[in-house]
Amino acid sequence: MVALLTDFGFLFGDPQTVTTTLVDTFDGRLRRAGLRLELRKSEQLELVLSGDDIVPARLTVERAPSVLADLPRGPFRSRIAELIDVRALAPRLRVRMNCSTGVWRDSTDKAVSIAELNEGARVLGRPDGERATTIEIHEVPGYAKQAVRVREVLAGVGLVEQDHDTLERCAVESGVDLAGFKGSATVPLDPQMAAIDGFRAVFANLAVAISANWQGAIDQIDPKFLHDLRIALRRTRTVLRAATSVVPTDVSTAAAEGFAWLAGATGPSRDLDVYLLEWEHYTGPLGPEAVSALAPVRDLLEQRCRDAHLELEQTLQSDRAVELITEWRAWLTEPLDRADLPRRAERPLGKVVAKRIDRAHSALVEAGRMIDPDTPAEQVHELRKDAKKLRYLIECFGSLLPDKPRKRYVKHLKALQENLGEHQDAEVHIALLRSLTPELETAGAGADTMVAIGQLTERLNQTRIASRAEFAERFADYDSHRTQQALDAALDAISS
Amino acid sequence: MPSPREGTGIVKVLATYSIKGGVGKTTTAVNLAAAAAASGSRVLLWDLDPQGAATFFVRVKPRVRGGVERLVGKSGSLEANIRATDDSAVHIVPADFSLRHLDLALDDTKHPTRRLAALLEPIADRYDVAILDCPPGITLTSESVFGAADALIVPTIPTTLSERTLEQLTDFLAERPPAPMVLPFTSMLDRRKRLQRDTFARLMTDIPGFLPTAIPNASVIEQMGIERSPVAAFAPKSPAASAFARLWGDIAARVWV
Repeated sequence: MVALLTDFGFLFGDPQTVTTTLVDTFDGRLRRAGLRLELRKSEQLELVLSGDDIVPARLTVERAPSVLADLPRGPFRSRIAELIDVRALAPRLRVRMNCSTGVWRDSTDKAVSIAELNEGARVLGRPDGERATTIEIHEVPGYAKQAVRVREVLAGVGLVEQDHDTLERCAVESGVDLAGFKGSATVPLDPQMAAIDGFRAVFANLAVAISANWQGAIDQIDPKFLHDLRIALRRTRTVLRAATSVVPTDVSTAAAEGFAWLAGATGPSRDLDVYLLEWEHYTGPLGPEAVSALAPVRDLLEQRCRDAHLELEQTLQSDRAVELITEWRAWLTEPLDRADLPRRAERPLGKVVAKRIDRAHSALVEAGRMIDPDTPAEQVHELRKDAKKLRYLIECFGSLLPDKPRKRYVKHLKALQENLGEHQDAEVHIALLRSLTPELETAGAGADTMVAIGQLTERLNQTRIASRAEFAERFADYDSHRTQQALDAALDAISS
Repeated sequence: MPSPREGTGIVKVLATYSIKGGVGKTTTAVNLAAAAAASGSRVLLWDLDPQGAATFFVRVKPRVRGGVERLVGKSGSLEANIRATDDSAVHIVPADFSLRHLDLALDDTKHPTRRLAALLEPIADRYDVAILDCPPGITLTSESVFGAADALIVPTIPTTLSERTLEQLTDFLAERPPAPMVLPFTSMLDRRKRLQRDTFARLMTDIPGFLPTAIPNASVIEQMGIERSPVAAFAPKSPAASAFARLWGDIAARVWV
């Protein structure tokens, strides 16, 4: 092959052993955006960001980046920053091969086509399979004709053009899924199916999300694992509550109790994660002096966060947690004894779900109308929880509901939730700051730190007051004829 | 001061520009393109000088499809003219001799001072940086460059005449807001000459925004004509290659705040 291309005019360099690692987030965000991030190790370590019809960008690095902050500021980092956000970058496929690059140059010594001969490519960490040799012809932009000519010559000697390049082919052959975990709140459902089958399908889908994020939350790979685990647990609890008279009482009672305990255990870690993630947003406007004075607060928050994670890790690895998940999964997979099911289990899923969503909506509206400027914060927090539960129900049974009215309804519900969330986050974070103060005083924190805590508390309090003042408007927007119309249209479609 | 291009695309447009000729605009453009690519940027180099020296340095054939009238005309686009260089992250829109009529061609368009910006717009999300290598002088082409650029990178030889042309440029731009950011730096510095060293030190203190990295007057930069590559490609460890990398760092710190 090399001889043929050499005769054609290519000049090949010495072969090099190259280890290429495809890097992406756990949920494959880069791939979904049409990007590919490779870490190439030969004489040096180089990151290459490319994609279909995308000019590749290269960056020499000293070590593999695992989070965004490991990359230097600049266009390379900016391009992937919004995509990966807080997610960690992890290897998805590692391939080692001997690589020789051949360059075909024109009369002015300009490269007009590149050939890459990859020999003995093998996926590291997988059973050693067939080590094929491939040749990749890279078209040089502006010199398309030359690449066509080279491909014609190679086809002429019997080479077959492949759909995938060497790395993609290695992934396919070794069964590595480069797409990453793609969790969805809902699954395909039919309004006419038996309610018990629909609920079990939703629970099974949530159980997949719980399992997928379990180890990542223990290992603290990134904060999104705990976030997604917590959401999956909360959704499970919400659907369990809606499963009254559908799921056998002994099953739902045990599961509800177990998942309440587990979801509760994830709370402190997640609250502290959120605080630390929002830290710059909270403290930045206070100015550099205050930020510097607040360093002991951040240190203490980080310490508390580490302690909370340690506790969570122990909970997730406990016998009780493992037993809960194992028994839950067993119930979801074992055949049902259909003779002994609660009275609504065999009713059409659409009718049951429509009724539960309608009831949750009515309860939320009723509770919301009771809120006035003097309502205690606890009651506002309860409203927030009700709104969340309703949203989870709509998301988990989302595939039943027609898209248009569902999205219209969720838009208003989401706006209300954002307002309630802002209020609650400020409440929680003020309380947390107050709880830290005695410890900071004991540790000898300076007056500047105490003044900065006062400034931060005041800023959070302003956010709390502003969101509370905005509540009436947001709620009125939600509690409107058009929102009710959107919900009716969504529920009518599944309850007839 | 807002950039004339604020709010458009992803690409940052930089122009190596000087009223004075022979100050190192083209070598700066080509070497900055290489330094930007080495730090993770996707770069489009646009050779606007009919001499086509930047095109020559990256070994691309000097040819503008259909000539300059077609390129800047109503249905013109950069796309058909883009060529890859030997650095996969650097592409070029080559120049040819037809660019000597660029002023006339721009004058025939509806909005001549906005035409170059309009041509860059469709490819704005494909590159992180566009570097425009400009011919010397203040012409209609320059004004169109000012309308397209986020920043002008101004090579300044440490001599009185060069300093004077920098003043002429800043005065000219001050009368025509919104103007691009002006980032002057010392080019072709001969550290053996005391007068040059003193002038460099004075420029650094007297001119706001003057970049701290000076590019030396080095024979390795002259060798670019023989090697037809940026310095970093054939002399990566030379002081000149390091200086261009540092200069890129200075510019990036100002442009990507």
